[in-house]
Amino acid sequence: MTAAGVLGPPTAPAGTTSRTPPGARLAWLHLRTRRVPAAIIAIAACAGLLRAALYWHWTFAAGPYAQQVPMIIEAGAAAVVAMTAHSPFGEAERATGRCLPYLRLGTAAGMCALAIGLLQLGVIGEGLNGGLPVLARNVIGITGLGLLCSLITGGLLAWTLPMGYMVFAQYALLEAWTSPWAWPVRPPADRGAWICACLSLAVGLLLFAVRGPRTELSDNG
Amino acid sequence: MTTVSLPLAGPARALRLELKRSAVPFLLPLLAAVFYYNTVRTADGFPAVWTLRASVIGDHMLFEFSAFAGGLGAWAGSREGRRKTADLVTTTARAAWARLSIALAGTLAWLLLAFGSGVAVLYVKTALQATWGGPPVWPVLVGAAGVTVVTVIGFTCGVLFPGRFTAPLVAVVTLFLYQVGFHAVLGIDPVPGIHGLGSGTYGLLSPAGPPPNPDAGVYYRIAPDLSVVRVMFLAGIAVALFGMLGLAPGVRRLASPRSRGSVRAFLAHGGSWPLRGAALVLIAGGLAAAVTAFSLAGTARLDPVGGWEIPALHAAASDRPLPVAEDCTSVATLRVCVDQAFSDDLSDVADALKPVAGEIAGLPGAPAKAAEVASMDGGQQVMSGTAGNPPVFEFTAEHVGPIFGDFNAPADDPAQWRAPFQTGLLDAFVAGLAPGSGQHAGPAVPPAGLAAQQAVVNALLTAAGTAPSEIGGNELLPGQPSAATWAAIGAATRRFLALPASARRAWLATHLTALRAGTITLAQVP
Repeated sequence: MTAAGVLGPPTAPAGTTSRTPPGARLAWLHLRTRRVPAAIIAIAACAGLLRAALYWHWTFAAGPYAQQVPMIIEAGAAAVVAMTAHSPFGEAERATGRCLPYLRLGTAAGMCALAIGLLQLGVIGEGLNGGLPVLARNVIGITGLGLLCSLITGGLLAWTLPMGYMVFAQYALLEAWTSPWAWPVRPPADRGAWICACLSLAVGLLLFAVRGPRTELSDNG
Repeated sequence: MTTVSLPLAGPARALRLELKRSAVPFLLPLLAAVFYYNTVRTADGFPAVWTLRASVIGDHMLFEFSAFAGGLGAWAGSREGRRKTADLVTTTARAAWARLSIALAGTLAWLLLAFGSGVAVLYVKTALQATWGGPPVWPVLVGAAGVTVVTVIGFTCGVLFPGRFTAPLVAVVTLFLYQVGFHAVLGIDPVPGIHGLGSGTYGLLSPAGPPPNPDAGVYYRIAPDLSVVRVMFLAGIAVALFGMLGLAPGVRRLASPRSRGSVRAFLAHGGSWPLRGAALVLIAGGLAAAVTAFSLAGTARLDPVGGWEIPALHAAASDRPLPVAEDCTSVATLRVCVDQAFSDDLSDVADALKPVAGEIAGLPGAPAKAAEVASMDGGQQVMSGTAGNPPVFEFTAEHVGPIFGDFNAPADDPAQWRAPFQTGLLDAFVAGLAPGSGQHAGPAVPPAGLAAQQAVVNALLTAAGTAPSEIGGNELLPGQPSAATWAAIGAATRRFLALPASARRAWLATHLTALRAGTITLAQVP
């Protein structure tokens, strides 16, 4: 009797093999663990709310108040993107391979782009104050803050800093602040505001991809 | 072996654990930072008048608390679902409702403590600066009811939909509803029928709104009618949702795919019958209170002093004017008086009026007194003007000269702050503007007469050291004057200004009556 028969890899039972390439399957499983499908639905709901606000004129057309409602919804979409940072596996997932930082980076960047796209899709045909540039800048910058927050609070509470920044930005909006780091207040083409928002996303993405969100045993949601 | 005795009874001990394990304290620094920027700095920009400062509780403080209270409520409510312990805790001795109530109480206690601390900061700062009045209670009650209802909404959503995205979505929807209420109350573009009901009613029930006039609550009491209805509405929703928590296990079971919407499953998991009965009573009572409050708000009408009164709740005593206590000083021949609530502004007002009072002192019809009066009368804004014998120049904390809200603006630019007072006094003196309507007291003045009055006012204003351009220099004219009219007014202003002060006074003493009547043209101004 020899062990030759059990040295090779076990054969998968018939009918259970997948034709999907392993990389794509890994990415899909990663997205599912981050509840990305639910996040897309949540962002789509935000886009619907924004469209309803513009369609039924629940927001101001011009002036300092015009950005109030869109900014709330953009911050909500950005917070949802940041909350996809949470992993249900916690610390154990970090020992699974070298792909994790790339998966995190791709998921966060892709979700950010998707959020901008969905929100923009929602406002087609309606007059959004500031247009796509302000919408994109707000989502980009606030997503960066959310990802940074996830490093401290964990993914499930990553919505707190985006909401706090949004409330602060509402005050800055009424006071017409000119600081570039109060980017929701600045005009669409303001270079300093774009630099700050992109810097926020770049730093957030980089640290999030390398370190990952804070994981705690209690965060087993 | 010693036995450890627990110092607290079961629910109290559970509450202590909830308070200890709550996520709210970790977010207090962020909430404090936002509170400082959004609420404290806004309040600091207002005059130290209690009603005005307290308005930031509903307009700003509740906004930032809503962002966190809704989300944190959902976070606490979704705990059992998030940690997948719902089945595990089903076996505990206490009913699910009691367990959820303690978790809710822990979150709510922290948030109300933070809210109370914020109000204390706001009120202590105001108490150190205010020269009159005391802290209003109703804005605090409305704010506390707002924080409570938002927390309960978030908690209930967290219990029923324990997903990871529930917290931010609840926060977003709460803030969205807040801003829609703000939009509705401004009445700029009414909401076309939320739930088929009037947007005006929704706006009135929303705690958000623009700041009141600076002298709100100084000359008349603020009727508490609307605040009573708001508290009733918010508390009604909170009580109904709290009652719904009693049915939450059954509702969750009803929503689960395995039960396929079976009513039997709902009945089997909804707790004991007395508890279900109590939950239904709370839901019915809460909804009844909310609907009653909504109906009452629909009957609100503007009261003569700019607030809202609800006939079913209105007390006639709140319509009586408050006793006026003035602080006065004298400059040149003019006695300047403001209400005690604005005592800090008295010297600034007197300094502003002093140069122009010197220019017109002793002339016929020159005011002997400048006095602040209530900014609202009969539901209308009161404009500055001169009335009485001896004449008194009346202005309000909201309106003086052609400017609204001068008392609201901090005196960053003294020249800009002085100009409305000086222009208001000169306009009233030269053009004979009556207080209240701010219109000419006599018959309508022809345009040529108005241009002459404007030239004289501009000359006297320049002589007092203020450029007419600070205000515009055309406030007496109907609409924007043409270039030719501007040139003619400018030429007459320069001519009159070039006269010696004694000659100006002599001409005014002789021609003031004709100038007021509008029978003097620009060409006749020396």
